[in-house]
Amino acid sequence: MSDTPILSTHGLTGGYGDFQALFGIDMHIDAGEVVALIGANGAGKSTFLKSIFGLLPVDRDMVKFEGNPVGGTPAHMMVRRGIAMVPEGRRLFVGMTVEENLRIAIDNARLPEGEGPWTREHLFDLFPILREKRRQPIEDLSGGQQQMVAISRALLCQPKVLLCDEISLGLAPKVIREIYEILPEISAFGTAIVLVEQDVGLAREASNRLYCMLEGRITLTGVSQDISRDAIAAAYFGASHAVA
Amino acid sequence: MTSKTHHTEVVRATRSSRIAMTLCLALLLALIAMPWWASSGNIRWAIELSCYIAIAQMWNLLAGYAGLVSVGQQAFIGVSGYLLFVLAQNFGVNPFVAVLLSLIAPAILAVPTYLLLRRLDGPYFAIGTWVVAEAVRLATSNIDYVNAGAGLTLRVMTQYSQHEREVGFVLLCALLLLTTIGGSYWLLRSRIGLALTAMRDNPVAAASQGVNVGRLRFYIFIAAAVGTGFAGAIYYMAQLRITPSAGFDPFWGSMSIFIVMVGGIGAIEGVLIGALIYFLADRLFGEFGSAYLIVLGLLTLVIALYARGGVWGLLQKWGDHAWFPVRRKLIVEENP
Repeated sequence: MSDTPILSTHGLTGGYGDFQALFGIDMHIDAGEVVALIGANGAGKSTFLKSIFGLLPVDRDMVKFEGNPVGGTPAHMMVRRGIAMVPEGRRLFVGMTVEENLRIAIDNARLPEGEGPWTREHLFDLFPILREKRRQPIEDLSGGQQQMVAISRALLCQPKVLLCDEISLGLAPKVIREIYEILPEISAFGTAIVLVEQDVGLAREASNRLYCMLEGRITLTGVSQDISRDAIAAAYFGASHAVA
Repeated sequence: MTSKTHHTEVVRATRSSRIAMTLCLALLLALIAMPWWASSGNIRWAIELSCYIAIAQMWNLLAGYAGLVSVGQQAFIGVSGYLLFVLAQNFGVNPFVAVLLSLIAPAILAVPTYLLLRRLDGPYFAIGTWVVAEAVRLATSNIDYVNAGAGLTLRVMTQYSQHEREVGFVLLCALLLLTTIGGSYWLLRSRIGLALTAMRDNPVAAASQGVNVGRLRFYIFIAAAVGTGFAGAIYYMAQLRITPSAGFDPFWGSMSIFIVMVGGIGAIEGVLIGALIYFLADRLFGEFGSAYLIVLGLLTLVIALYARGGVWGLLQKWGDHAWFPVRRKLIVEENP
C-alpha cells in the first residue's frame, strides 16, 4: 500500500481577492480516513475546503491528490478526479425532484453509477426516507432530508474524497445523529472524509484525526481520541483562553 | 446491501404533452401547406411569428438556462442577414441554400464575442453584448462592399415566382421551428438539459456536481447565436432588403425580453405564449405607435413585479400541465 496520502495540502494560502484568509495550511488525509476540521466562525474552514475543491484560486503545488498537484483545478474537474463536496447550506437544485438532483451527479460522475460503490438503491437503503420522497420537489423536504439528498448527491459522484462543510448546521440533534451514523459506512468503502464542523464533541467522536483552525492557521492536530478537551479549547479560542 | 430487486421506469410524457405534440405537428403541417391554402399576407404573418418564436426561444435558452442575459442578439441577426444577401446577390448562390450557409457568420462572431465577455457577469455581460452589437452595426455601416448605410436589396429573388418563394419560406420556417423549438426541447430533455437547469439554479452547486459550467455556457451561446442568425436570415430574406439600422436594431433584443418575460422565462411554453401575445398586440395596437410601446413596457414591468413566472407561470398554478415536459419521473416497483 502506498504511503502517499490521498489528499494533502502544502503551505496552502488563499482567500477572497486581496483578503487573505488562509496562512500556510499543511494537512493530509489517507484513504478511508475521517479527518475533522474544527474552528470557530471565521477561522477559515469553509475557505479551506473551497480552496481545495477549486472554487477559490490557489497555486497548483499547494494541493495534491494521490500525489499529483491539482491546486486551482476547476471544481467540475475535481469531481472527475475523485473529490466531491457537500456544500454548506446544501445548495440543492430547488424546483427539481430528489431524483433529478441525484441524476445531475450521476450524469457527471467520475464513474458510471453501476461501476462505482454508490448507487441510488444503496443510498435509498441508507436513507430509506429518500426512497419514499424521490419524486417530490426538493423544497418539500425537511432540512434533515435535504441534507441526506446533498450527501447522496455527492456520493453518486463516486468520490475517493468527500468534503463535508458543516453538515449539521441548522439540524435537530436527532437528525444530526442519524446523518453522522452514516459516516463510518461511507469511509468503510475507502472514501476519505474531510469533515468541517463547529460542534467539537461531534467532530471528535466521528473522526480518526482532527485539525483545529484559528484565524486561517492550524493550531492543533492529532488523533481525535487522544486530544484533551483543554488542548482543543486552547487551540479553538487561542492560547489565552486555555482551560487550566 | 439490499437483497430486494426493483423494476425502475423513467416517465416524462403526460396527457397534456401528447395533446401539445399532436397540435404542434398539425400546426407544422398546416404551416408547410400554407402556400396552397393561405393568402400571401397570412404567409408573411406566419414567417414573422416563426422568426419571433425562434429568436425569443434562443434568448430564453441564453437567459433562462445559461444565465447569460444578452441585449445584443441583434448582432447575430444582422451578420447572418448580410452574409445571406452577399452570398445570394454577389456570389450567385441559391438564396435558399445561402440561408443555411449564412449561419457560419453568427457562429464565427459568437466565438470571439463569448471569449471576450465570458468573465463579465450580469449587467456587465449584458452591456458587453450591446457594445459588440453596436460595434458590428457601425462597422457594417462603413463597409462600401455591402453598400454602407444604404443597405442591400435581394434582387435575385425575382427569378422565383411568388408561389415558389412562399413554398421556400414556409419550408425554411418549419426547419427553423424544428431546430430552435424542437432542438431546445430535445436538448432540455437530454442529460445536458438537467445540467443546464442545475446551472441556471446555482452555477457553483452545478460545478460541484461535475457540471462544466464554462463549457456549457459557451456551447449555449454559440447555439443561441446560430439559431438567432437563422431566424434573422429568413426574416430579412422575406423582407428582400437589409440595412444596418434594421438588421442590427436593438428592437430585436427588446422584443425577445418582452416575449420571454411576459410568456414565462425558462419554459418553451412561455415563449410560445409570449410570442403570440406580442404578435397579436403588434397586429391589433401597432398603429398607436409609441403609446402601444409604452403599454407593452408597462405590461412587462407588471409581470416582472407581480408574476415572475409570466403567463405560463400563472397557468401552472392551476396544475402541472406542461406541453413540453422536461422533468423525469422515476417509477420504482419492488419485485417480490
